[in-house]
Amino acid sequence: MMLRNAPAIMALALMSAPAHAGGELLGADFAELRGEASVETILFPEDPLFAGQEHNSLSFAIEPTGTLEWNGVEGLGGADVTATLRPFLRIDTQDGERTHFDLREAKVDLRFGDTDVTIGSDIVFWGKTEVDQLVDVVNQVDGVEGTDGEDKLGQPMVAVRRIVEVGDFSGQASAFYFPYFRERTFLGEESRLRPALVVDGDDARYESGAEEWTPSFAARLAGFYGDFDVGIHAFHGLSRDPAFEVNGVAFTGGQPVPTSLRPVYGRISQIGFDGQYTSGATLWKAEAIGRLDQRNLAFEKEDYAAVIAGLEHTLYGIAETNADLGLIAEYAYDSRGRRALTPFENDLVLGARLALNDAQDTSALFTAAVDTETAETVLRLEGERRLGDSFKLEIVGQAFLNTDDSSFLNDLRDDHSLRITLSAFW
Amino acid sequence: MEHATRTGWAAFVVKTRWLWIVLGLALTVAMGAGLGKLGFNPDARVFFAAENPDRIALDRFEAEFAKDDNLILVMNAAEGGLFEPEILAAIGDLTGKAWLLPHVRRVDSLTNFQHTYAIGDEMIVSDLVPDPANVTPEVAAAAREIALSRPELLHSMIDPAGRYGSMQIMFRLPGKNPAIEVPMIVAEAQALAAAFREQHPGIELRLTGSVMVNNQFAVSGQEDGKSLTPLMFGAILLIVFLAFRSLAGVLMTVSVIAMSAIIGLGALGWSGVALNSVTVLAPLIIMTLAVASVVHVLASVRQTMVETPDRREWARVALDEHGAEIAIACITTAIGFLALNFSISPPFRELGNVVAVGVIGAMFLTLTFLPALIAIIPMKRREALASTDRIMAPLAEFVIGWRKPLLVGMSLLVVGLASGIPRLSLEDDFVRYFDDRYEFRRDTDYYERNLGGLNILEYALPAGRSDGINDPAFLADVKALTEWLRAQPEVTNVRSLTDVIQRLNMNMHADDPAMMKLPADDQAAAQFLFLYELSLGYGMDLTDQINIDRSAMRISVAMAEVTTKEMLALDARVQDWMATNAPDIAVTPTGMSQVFNLIAYRDVRAMLLGTVLALIAISALLLLVLRDVRLGIISLIPNLVPAAMAFGIWGYSVGAVTLAIAVVIAMTLGIVVDDTVHFLAKYKEGKRRGMTPEDAVRYTFSKVGMALFVTTFALVVGFAILSTSGFAVNGDMAKLTAMTISLALVADFLLLPALLITIDRRETMTAPAAATAALAALVGFGVFTAPTPAAAQSAEEKGLAIVQEAERRDLGWGDFTNDGEMILRDSGGNETRRIWRGMSYERDARAGEGDWSVIVFSSPRDIAGTATLTQAKIEPSDDDQWLYLPAVKRVKRISSSNRTGKFVGSEFSFEDLGSQEVEDNTYRWLRDEPCPTAPGLTCHVIEGYPKNARSGYSKRTTWVDNQEFRLHKTDFYNRRGDLEKTLTATGHQQYVGKYWRPARLDMQNVQTGKSTTLLQTNYSFGTGLGEGDFNAQRLPRLSR
Repeated sequence: MMLRNAPAIMALALMSAPAHAGGELLGADFAELRGEASVETILFPEDPLFAGQEHNSLSFAIEPTGTLEWNGVEGLGGADVTATLRPFLRIDTQDGERTHFDLREAKVDLRFGDTDVTIGSDIVFWGKTEVDQLVDVVNQVDGVEGTDGEDKLGQPMVAVRRIVEVGDFSGQASAFYFPYFRERTFLGEESRLRPALVVDGDDARYESGAEEWTPSFAARLAGFYGDFDVGIHAFHGLSRDPAFEVNGVAFTGGQPVPTSLRPVYGRISQIGFDGQYTSGATLWKAEAIGRLDQRNLAFEKEDYAAVIAGLEHTLYGIAETNADLGLIAEYAYDSRGRRALTPFENDLVLGARLALNDAQDTSALFTAAVDTETAETVLRLEGERRLGDSFKLEIVGQAFLNTDDSSFLNDLRDDHSLRITLSAFW
Repeated sequence: MEHATRTGWAAFVVKTRWLWIVLGLALTVAMGAGLGKLGFNPDARVFFAAENPDRIALDRFEAEFAKDDNLILVMNAAEGGLFEPEILAAIGDLTGKAWLLPHVRRVDSLTNFQHTYAIGDEMIVSDLVPDPANVTPEVAAAAREIALSRPELLHSMIDPAGRYGSMQIMFRLPGKNPAIEVPMIVAEAQALAAAFREQHPGIELRLTGSVMVNNQFAVSGQEDGKSLTPLMFGAILLIVFLAFRSLAGVLMTVSVIAMSAIIGLGALGWSGVALNSVTVLAPLIIMTLAVASVVHVLASVRQTMVETPDRREWARVALDEHGAEIAIACITTAIGFLALNFSISPPFRELGNVVAVGVIGAMFLTLTFLPALIAIIPMKRREALASTDRIMAPLAEFVIGWRKPLLVGMSLLVVGLASGIPRLSLEDDFVRYFDDRYEFRRDTDYYERNLGGLNILEYALPAGRSDGINDPAFLADVKALTEWLRAQPEVTNVRSLTDVIQRLNMNMHADDPAMMKLPADDQAAAQFLFLYELSLGYGMDLTDQINIDRSAMRISVAMAEVTTKEMLALDARVQDWMATNAPDIAVTPTGMSQVFNLIAYRDVRAMLLGTVLALIAISALLLLVLRDVRLGIISLIPNLVPAAMAFGIWGYSVGAVTLAIAVVIAMTLGIVVDDTVHFLAKYKEGKRRGMTPEDAVRYTFSKVGMALFVTTFALVVGFAILSTSGFAVNGDMAKLTAMTISLALVADFLLLPALLITIDRRETMTAPAAATAALAALVGFGVFTAPTPAAAQSAEEKGLAIVQEAERRDLGWGDFTNDGEMILRDSGGNETRRIWRGMSYERDARAGEGDWSVIVFSSPRDIAGTATLTQAKIEPSDDDQWLYLPAVKRVKRISSSNRTGKFVGSEFSFEDLGSQEVEDNTYRWLRDEPCPTAPGLTCHVIEGYPKNARSGYSKRTTWVDNQEFRLHKTDFYNRRGDLEKTLTATGHQQYVGKYWRPARLDMQNVQTGKSTTLLQTNYSFGTGLGEGDFNAQRLPRLSR
């Protein structure tokens, strides 16, 4: 087992020491330990494309959450204090890179009236749209967990948030200081669903002298006004999105051939907007960002803008049942076009979300992302259902159609897959 | 929220007080620099906009003939009459001197009258008195005989007795500098007249004419400014001093009102528009209105100083509690005045704009400069409340106790007074705009009484072709018209060229009296006129009678002491006569009199649109401020009723009114709204604090009663002073405004609270019902037919009353937390459970807000930490709802439009779980019977019918006990009308000695056999939750 995350472990140590030393759990007003453990297998009907890739995959994960709450702590100016620790561990039977540990959350939240202060590792979600969240820049992607980028690594931070009420606008203004940078995780040689060239995530290069200790800053105002939910933000610091350069080279017949890549992290500045208009059963959503100094796929610094806009309309009680069907249409645009680091550069995403509203919370989401230029298509079906009181079954199917030679999706053309996860909760 | 921002503003102003002092002074100096550019335009025609069709007609007429700027010297030689040698000598002398006046075009006097006669075949044209200095009694007697025989002179230049005569001096004004030209002529003419009177003490000499009218516009405008300003200042200061007994207060008031006036007037100066007789009032109006704002601040200070000696606190509290209302009041006032831009009369447009700027300036100063002054300048502190404050409490009690008689009495009064409106008659006689305090008016009355009329209807009679005026048929028509007009009782003199032509015909026929008729062919007429013109003296030509190509002839009809109505009636008769007797000749009247005749009619119509727009804008603003449709609609009554009453009173008492009336509604609307805003805002605040309508009225009187009284008093005194203006347009405007404002206070003190209590006591009333009631009250009936609760209740009313009682008993719980558990059973008996923590926060349902709640799930464990925040709304609005997903730490706004869907497979629909407000349904009481689950109790059985068509139910039948109004059972009927589900509530427990909550709810679906049990336990009330605990952005923090 490789425990690569030294700061996370230090935070864990700091967090857990008093918890164990304190006897009656430090006189907390509320204490809870809950968690989730899961077994996951990914099945691939097609043979691997690249040397070293294993056929199927089997892994185990555990994610306990411990919470302690103290109300009105005198020594902290009467603040309500919550300490949260949520470590995460995955053990993969094939890929050593997938076997990893992270402190998703290891933080103390202090609440003074309308002001909240968070110190420690946390996950912060920003955004409104479904396919991708352009504005969600705080946390690094846990790249070995899923291909949709929704799994994030804990980000060490000091955050101050304050409720803002101006007229009919109600929301929260936040300021963030990120002292430490989290590197993205990349799948190893054995894994499917990776590009042809393995990325040496541990061998990252920084375009900033302080490397991972380069501080980043962000500010955000988010809230709602009537039927409008809006957020704006600004970010300055190391980009969570790396560019790539050749790392390993082999000589085949005297010609240098790249064998591996490494991520390069540079400073960027970004502003962005996200909004949603709730009109009855229809939700209109949009996100937009402008970012400066981001290196693109061609390893050039390029200022760019990106937009995702779309809607979600829900049909309630379809076919005389209690089930709801949500129809999703979103369009994603990136001014860099083919030089973008994201697959969503000029794509139309259509989807349907089915919720049975039964006692088992059965739901499914189907999406088709189609590149409007190359017709590259990614189909995705997610489904989940609770089994009994404390188990859950989740399946994710993916297929890559019409892949284009010049696109990195081409490397995944044979990685159609079915991921099956069984989780237990306590 | 709003309160918070205001607190911030108040504290900010007090902190940065020196900045605001400097800014206020700087603004005043900058705007005041424009004062130097102000001129004065005395022309009576400033009332006519360039696009006024009557003015266009007048301009065209004057271009064709002549513009009559004239001066009339009226003479009276007592006993012997004018035709004495020495008097004729004097007139001759005066005629010669009159030619020396500036800009003279022509002088017509008895001596230089162009007399024609024949000597044999020769026609002689000569002055009536060729050598006035040497007149023999014989010559004088001959001249007298001639003069009295000439219809064009009679009742214009000579009276039938030969005692009164006049001299008409025509001017051609260059119009380059109207502020100087007219006064210069008048000054020289008056000097001439003075010299004449000195020389000839036996002859009375008076001055009138249109030049004198114009001069009077300038004189009375300036006199108003001069005499009313100090009066106004004095009165305002006295009122402020008496109300607050503070010299510092007086000083502050003076600074603010003077600065506001300077700002308004300076803006006019910068815009380059000259003052006129209406806009001179602008600074006085601005000052009056500014006082109202200042008084609100001072009244608050007067109240606060009893509690604390901290001057800065006085300023802060004043801004905090009254700042927003003052701002709104000023803005509505400005809107009302801006609506004057719809007037067709430019002086009113300018007045509206100047006052609007001034009022906005006053608002700025009252909200910045004044509190800064209060925080800086020491003011003597008083320990006891002002006496007026002490009067307010009994007044409030009186209104509350006597509200029904008041409502009836006031409604009758309103209707009774408003019935006088049809008696109003529009009366715009520019001569009678000035009352008889002015010498001009007295002289003009003298002239009209003894000689002729200053009101002249001008007709340009078209002959149809060049030289057509010589056509015998045309001339015959004109002659007939002239004779017919002379026979009309109100007509004093008709000037028509047919008189001259007839006489010329006679002269050409050797003065044969039989030939005193029109020539038979057009050659003859043309030749006579040609000969005549050749012989006329200097300046005596016919160009003001005939147009250049001789295709039209002018007829001037002078009338004395007539009303606008009479003039319009005469014209109607003229039109009738022409249609019958000369249908080929189309005539339209013009002249200054005619333009004024129509100006009020046109302005009333033009201002109607402006007034309606102002009403809409002001009402919209009011709605925005009050955020209460019902109050907004009710506010229409005290806003509109006062003007209707004032107009009615005027109709009964005076009747005649000038064009000022057109602008009064728009003007006063903005002002009377102020009282309504202050009153309703405080009333609403009282209601928001949970007071009964009666207590809210008491609260309102105590908070703003005194301020409203003092401001109204100050405004009424201010406008009463303006109403002493001798210029009727200003006087009428001020009188009507003063009446309207005082009646507004009566309406706000006596009618509005009675109305509010009556309507709010019937809490059931929805906005449309309130609208109906308000409109019914407007026309004077309806509201007081409201039944008393006890009498003859219908099943609907009883049902509603029961639900309301249940609602009322559950008001005021503030906030609570509880634990919830839902047990779902399928028809096979399998169970699944959901457990959560709940937090609820009460909101004011009457303000259209539903309660707020947060639910955080803890079981099943895979959704542990999932949280929902609901900010409920009254149906049919969707609630605002957010969902927090802990796995991705995402807060999502979700649609809440699904009413009928089942919550996670339970038998509870979203509708069942959502916040239920009384207004969501209509009700009907069915019967009383033993409660189904507690037979010892009696239950009311009520049916509720959802108003929202999206509801899943056609009706709900509910059992509520008559002791504590607790819910025991509900039957749900689906859209098809079939019984679908039955809910039973058991295990009621009372919390904090007041609020009952059932511990267990069982929902049984009778169609599917499935059931769901909802357990809610562990209630804890008053846990100190606040709005901040129900902020969507904070959901992650609440989840655990």
